[in-house]
Amino acid sequence: MLTLKGDDAMTAVTEAKEWVRMERLSKVYPNGTTAVKEVDLSIREGEFLCFVGPSGCGKSTIFKMITGLSNPTGGKLTVMGTTANEARKRSDTAFVFQDHTLLPWSSVIDNVMLPLALRGVSRKERQQEAERVLAMVGLQDHMRSMPRELSGGMKMRASIARALVAKPKLLLMDEPFGALDEITRQTLQLELLSLWRQDPEMTILFVTHNVFEAVFLSTRIAVMTPRPGKIDDVIDVPVPFPRDETFRSTPEFGRIVHSVSMTLKH
Amino acid sequence: MHEELLTESNVPLRTSPAGSATASRLRKMNRQFGPPAAAFVLFIGGWEVVCRLLGTKPYLLPKPSDIVLAATENAANLWVSVYTTIVEAVLGIILSIILGVGFAILLASSKFIERSVYPYAIIMQTIPIVAIAPIIVIWFGAGMNAIVIIAFLIGFFPMLSNTLIGLDSTEHNMKNLFYLYNASPMQTMFRLRIPAALPYIVAGLKISCTLAVIGAIVGEYIAGIGGGKGGLGYAITVAASRLQTPYLFACGLSASLLGIAFFLLVNAFSKWMLSSWHESEMKSSEG
Repeated sequence: MLTLKGDDAMTAVTEAKEWVRMERLSKVYPNGTTAVKEVDLSIREGEFLCFVGPSGCGKSTIFKMITGLSNPTGGKLTVMGTTANEARKRSDTAFVFQDHTLLPWSSVIDNVMLPLALRGVSRKERQQEAERVLAMVGLQDHMRSMPRELSGGMKMRASIARALVAKPKLLLMDEPFGALDEITRQTLQLELLSLWRQDPEMTILFVTHNVFEAVFLSTRIAVMTPRPGKIDDVIDVPVPFPRDETFRSTPEFGRIVHSVSMTLKH
Repeated sequence: MHEELLTESNVPLRTSPAGSATASRLRKMNRQFGPPAAAFVLFIGGWEVVCRLLGTKPYLLPKPSDIVLAATENAANLWVSVYTTIVEAVLGIILSIILGVGFAILLASSKFIERSVYPYAIIMQTIPIVAIAPIIVIWFGAGMNAIVIIAFLIGFFPMLSNTLIGLDSTEHNMKNLFYLYNASPMQTMFRLRIPAALPYIVAGLKISCTLAVIGAIVGEYIAGIGGGKGGLGYAITVAASRLQTPYLFACGLSASLLGIAFFLLVNAFSKWMLSSWHESEMKSSEG
């Protein structure tokens, strides 16, 4: 059932490590709201897994628990073989939010170097790594620009570059393309897939409320429903990579979109 | 006019060829500064004419020409006073920046310290400076030291409270980002919270810099001569006691010009520092 980043990925799949494990994971807020109820899910190395669902279905809460921003109130969560907080401290995880969260007073390259600077990496190495990832996202000509001089799509690219700079194994993205126009969104989806395929180890967890986006990007989709937030179904997207724009108009695409939508509605 | 020129020298021109830009700028300046300039001329002219017609005594209400005459005749003394006051006010401002921002960082680093100390900072602020000033003179002696401290005290609170608000209003997502990347509290403070607070700090500085001039003058009223020769406040008390009303006016005007100059300087500084990223100082045509 697993990841097919390319045609020869099958061998890697058989012994893929488990990156995230949720066992009856629950989150009840102090005011009594059950945001997430008894979720079971296992995520393996190299996957591109989308959490899709309407607002209030707990997908962002799950995301917060994996990042360590929020603690579970029930069940067990293992990230990279340890607790969420420990995994974060080992710097194997990186984050992209819907809001680009670039520091407005720093140039693009300074923003991208930030995670390395916070870890005390030398200036030379920081610079080198930042230039590498900026080239990967196509921003090599805008390194010295200030964030406000960039378009929405370019800001998101810079934000993705910042996430990639520390060579993360687990990339967590919370509705990263939610605020972009449709054309930019589709371009960035393709770019993201190509970045993901360049590193066979990299696992991406992607939160979105857009079914088309989820189907286009992922190897598996966790469909979530609200009140209480739970995973209703996990749907495979058995379509090999590389995927391109033509995938959006195939019957296969339509069939999976339909099945995800049906699960969401029921 | 001053402001326009500063903007131009600090922000590179990106649009339209230079010629038409200059013309449109002139027109804009005309529209902006024309009306107040006309009102100024009308007011001064009217003042002069009314005084001449009524024949008022100069020690009651001097004519504008009397004031100018008094200022030019005593230019050397006036300059010494202005200079003394500048030194006192600048030292006061520097102290209030260092201590205001420093204390704000301390308070912002710990909610506990903030909760226990900040109320007293507010209470201190509500005590009128003229009530504290004599105590300061008793402690630090009449003269420069006491005046600088009074100027500092009056400028301190706006710096403290503005910086504190700035440090506490960092965007939530940004704080999460720093947390997720395992930033230490120190790193978060210096790489995120302080830069994010800069617009607030500068806003506080705009208030403090004019207040410090007032503080220096009030200090001179109470503490007398500062630094060998008297400042503007001292000159005002002397001129008043001698009924040199035209010179009194000249001193008052100088004090207000000094305040304006300080404000424009801080404004220019703010533009220089924030124009590349903060809404408040961006040119509306950009972005």
